[in-house]
Amino acid sequence: MSIVSGYSFAFWVELVYLAAVIVMITRARGGIKIPEIYKVAGLEAMDEAIGRCTEMGKPVHFSPGIGDLQNAQTLAAMSILGYVAKQCARYDTDLIATNRNVIVYPLSEEIVKQSYAEIGKLDSFKPDNVRWISDDQFAYATGVTGIMFREKPAANILVGAFWAESLIFAEVGSIAGAIQISGTANTHQIPFFVAACDYCLIGEELYAASAYLSKEPVLLASLVAQDWGKMVGVVLIVIGTIMFSVGSDSLKVLLSK
Amino acid sequence: MKKEIPVAITLILAILYVAANYFTGVSFLETTKNLLDQWFLIVAAWAVLVGSVNLTQIHGRKVAAKREGWFYSAWLIACLYGMMFFGIFVAKNASYPGWTFMYNQLIAPMNATVYSTIVFYIGSAAYRAFRVRSPEASVLLVTALIMMLGRVPLGRMLLGGNPALSQMADWILNVPNSAGMRGIQVGACLGGVATALRIALGIERGHLGGTGE
Repeated sequence: MSIVSGYSFAFWVELVYLAAVIVMITRARGGIKIPEIYKVAGLEAMDEAIGRCTEMGKPVHFSPGIGDLQNAQTLAAMSILGYVAKQCARYDTDLIATNRNVIVYPLSEEIVKQSYAEIGKLDSFKPDNVRWISDDQFAYATGVTGIMFREKPAANILVGAFWAESLIFAEVGSIAGAIQISGTANTHQIPFFVAACDYCLIGEELYAASAYLSKEPVLLASLVAQDWGKMVGVVLIVIGTIMFSVGSDSLKVLLSK
Repeated sequence: MKKEIPVAITLILAILYVAANYFTGVSFLETTKNLLDQWFLIVAAWAVLVGSVNLTQIHGRKVAAKREGWFYSAWLIACLYGMMFFGIFVAKNASYPGWTFMYNQLIAPMNATVYSTIVFYIGSAAYRAFRVRSPEASVLLVTALIMMLGRVPLGRMLLGGNPALSQMADWILNVPNSAGMRGIQVGACLGGVATALRIALGIERGHLGGTGE
């Protein structure tokens, strides 16, 4: 048994990172104070967007993107969906969750149903509002466009893995007059969301959403480990830049081992 | 128990799957990874059926109640099952001429049509984003102008053949833009790993229908 060539450094880094996450979680369980997390405007606006829908008597539209379940962004979107569904159940606001991926669809339905059940309003859950549109990227985009124009949601929440359809969703949401909260880690789609939406979760903010919204100390603790990882990354970048500038590629060799 | 068993299964399979990606020469790990990949495909195939049932229910009810636009729903159901039955009973394989005709002459042009609408959305989004309302929007506007003029022959023509705009556009794209993108990618990668760890360890259970512990 040996480590796959080129994966050694990544393996040890991941082990150290795992240890850091476990250490922080253990400390959080022990009641140690977790550092303050900066305010993420997009997540703060989530309740405001749902409240707007409640006041206007219009639904919320939620899309978890077009990634499959192997994509961490989709899993992060599922956690946000749980929060949004609970808030919608609490305020008797319709939630239309559209899906492109056939594996994500039953999961979305179960999460929304479970959220309504946890609030004690299972009777208000409408299975027809959790919809599988199509497995085809642009057929899904067309379906969502139709929903935005026909059902005119007052809030459009787009979080997860998006590709070329991102701007279509954001623009039709804007035309429909919805308050828009988006989030993705797909860097090429972030500019579209920033330009067209009211709030945008950029990159890692999407992954931090579930911890941020739930305010669970254990989940927040893992964000601290995430920040440590980022700091190590920054230090490595600075050291690597200096070393490479003086003609040494030993860090590059070490990283590619 | 409703949540503990799925969490335990997730943890065990996550360890095996991650180990199979890092270690080589362990036949048990490779066999398990291949098996899990096959299971995923089978689950995905069955999930198509679940999705089709959902579509049929929603649009079937709309047709039955003759709600506004019911004929679009009827058309959708006809297309859905028409393609399905044609594929299963007539075409039977993806290279059947009638099947490829439908894909190439119907689905592909429709996809291209929807994709091409993005150009208009880019225009309307850019108009809103570039309105000079703040210092940030001004920076965005100036950068966008340099990028656009630097990417088309008109930019060079305006400067009498001088490639300065094109060089500035290249610099913006390769230096500040790349640096920003990579910064976001580093954070996103760490966030992705942290999310995967939280799910594997059962700390985050949003995908099981609840949030957190």
